[in-house]
Amino acid sequence: MSLACQNLHFAYNGHAILTAVDLDVNAGEFCVLLGRNGSGKTTLIYCLAGLLRPQKGTVAINGLNLAAASRVEIARQVSLVPQEHADIFPFKVLDVVVMGRTAMLGFNQRPGNADYLAARRVLAELEAESLADRNFNRISGGERRIALLARAILQAENTLLLDEPTNHLDFNNKYRLLAKIKRLCLEKGIRIIASLHDPNLAAQFADTVVMLSDGRVLASGDVHTVMTSERVSQLYQTPTRRIETDDGETLFVPCLPEKESKARLCKGENREWT
Amino acid sequence: MTVAVRTDSLPGEDYRTNRLLMSLAVSLAVVLVLSLWVGWVPISPRELGEIVRAWLGASTSESMESKALVFGLVRIPRALVTALVGMGLSAAGAVYQGLFRNPLVSPDILGVSAGATFGAALGLVIGATGWFAIQSLAFVFGLAAVGMALLIARLVAVRPMLVLVLAGLVVLSVFNSSLTLLKYLSDPYNELPAIVFWIMGSMSRAQWSDLRVVAPIIGGSLVMIHIMRYKLNVLSLGDLQARSLGLNPTLYRLLFIAFSSIIVSVSVATCGQVCWVGLVMPHIARTLVGPNHEQMLPVAVLLGGIFLLLADTAARSLTMAELPISVITAFIGAPLFAYLLYRNRGSGWS
Repeated sequence: MSLACQNLHFAYNGHAILTAVDLDVNAGEFCVLLGRNGSGKTTLIYCLAGLLRPQKGTVAINGLNLAAASRVEIARQVSLVPQEHADIFPFKVLDVVVMGRTAMLGFNQRPGNADYLAARRVLAELEAESLADRNFNRISGGERRIALLARAILQAENTLLLDEPTNHLDFNNKYRLLAKIKRLCLEKGIRIIASLHDPNLAAQFADTVVMLSDGRVLASGDVHTVMTSERVSQLYQTPTRRIETDDGETLFVPCLPEKESKARLCKGENREWT
Repeated sequence: MTVAVRTDSLPGEDYRTNRLLMSLAVSLAVVLVLSLWVGWVPISPRELGEIVRAWLGASTSESMESKALVFGLVRIPRALVTALVGMGLSAAGAVYQGLFRNPLVSPDILGVSAGATFGAALGLVIGATGWFAIQSLAFVFGLAAVGMALLIARLVAVRPMLVLVLAGLVVLSVFNSSLTLLKYLSDPYNELPAIVFWIMGSMSRAQWSDLRVVAPIIGGSLVMIHIMRYKLNVLSLGDLQARSLGLNPTLYRLLFIAFSSIIVSVSVATCGQVCWVGLVMPHIARTLVGPNHEQMLPVAVLLGGIFLLLADTAARSLTMAELPISVITAFIGAPLFAYLLYRNRGSGWS
């Protein structure tokens, strides 16, 4: 029971975006993709969701080869919370969540009472039951993320792909959302792959980390072994310090060249990087 | 973890929508019967009973026979065609608005009406004999116009919805210019007025023979759209999300466009262009039951039938000469639309 992607190559109009990407994520694992803007995080997620067809390489989820599978088969295994969500008709949140059942419905079928109940149950599990009857266009960005997360869980309790789930969320909401996601991993054994911009969030919540740089895997593996100050510095091309707090948390703090005093502090630690 | 789930609200909502649907269906039936009464030749309920008895074999007076003819050969088929066209246009409008994720879209956006109108005008100019030939031309050109728009969009193959709108614009203006050219070249004493009156739209041409064609085509398309209506919710999220939810957007979009275009083509072929029904009725439905197409589509369909029947009844009884039906639908529809825009201003459209 694993998600495996081997030697993945993806090019858009001859311009290589992903090169020889290997990935292996177990059930119940929270895997975070890190990388700069344009490093291929979103493209990789779309390839894993079967939305983009890689030119070379394979993606298999629990033995299902995505290249040979139908949309419905893929959708029953993998769900996606996309980065951007354009304004839609003023649907109720419950109506948006229940769309997670689309892949279960035939040509002439529509969701029944059981589906609506299941949708309410998922919202309740995410402590967001009160959202159910509200207008999706009128709730906050954080609440929308929760609603879309509920839709994704309703769709596939196997693999969840989250494309920058913490975008546009405030300090507090980022942590609350990731804590909920982490809990899903632990309680339900859902495999989650999320792209994040903040290495600190990854250090705090991820089980494994994949660092993408120009479409190649810079490093991947267990969060504690992969996230060294050297690798983080190299990934973001910014000298970065790693700080261990008293209670065992790891923090990454960039040292900007214009800040002389900080740069001096970093010097001792990051000699290997330059 | 124990999770309390509220279950009471679901049946309640279903019940409310069902009650609305029932009352709309009853209203449609009432309006249908009413429109049989109203008109130049007054027919009272007592006379109606006599006509029905006459059909069943009882003998009647001379004056009753002509009334029976008006009733049986003119009003009944006209009312039925009107109701079907109204229902069909409203459904097509709801479908297009869902597909294009835009509440300001009407079924004309891919050039169906323009193509069908051009086809009919072409028939009138080349002297096609009989309504059937002209209607067939209108139908074929209506579908051809949509086909061209789809083909252009397919050839471009990026940003499907945006390109489809632009392709529709291209097709629309080609057919509109061709229509202008036809008008310019046509004989100004016979053909030109015929074209102009044809475009204005009227239900007066509807006969039993039309109903035999219109009923299965519009009825069948309505059934198909009704069956698939839930997919419109998913499609309205956009292609990316529809695909990740497990729906093939290209296939379903093609099916929806095909059935809607068939409805619009047949409508234009039967009674010319009738504007505003497909734009305003889905709006009212959305105001009444919300944007979920599961409930909204049947409500819009019934509203469309009621609205067009009322408009047609008004068109033929307000003045001595029959008014073009589009004048009535526009006079009612446009202010209504403005009012709805005002009322729904806070619902989250950007």
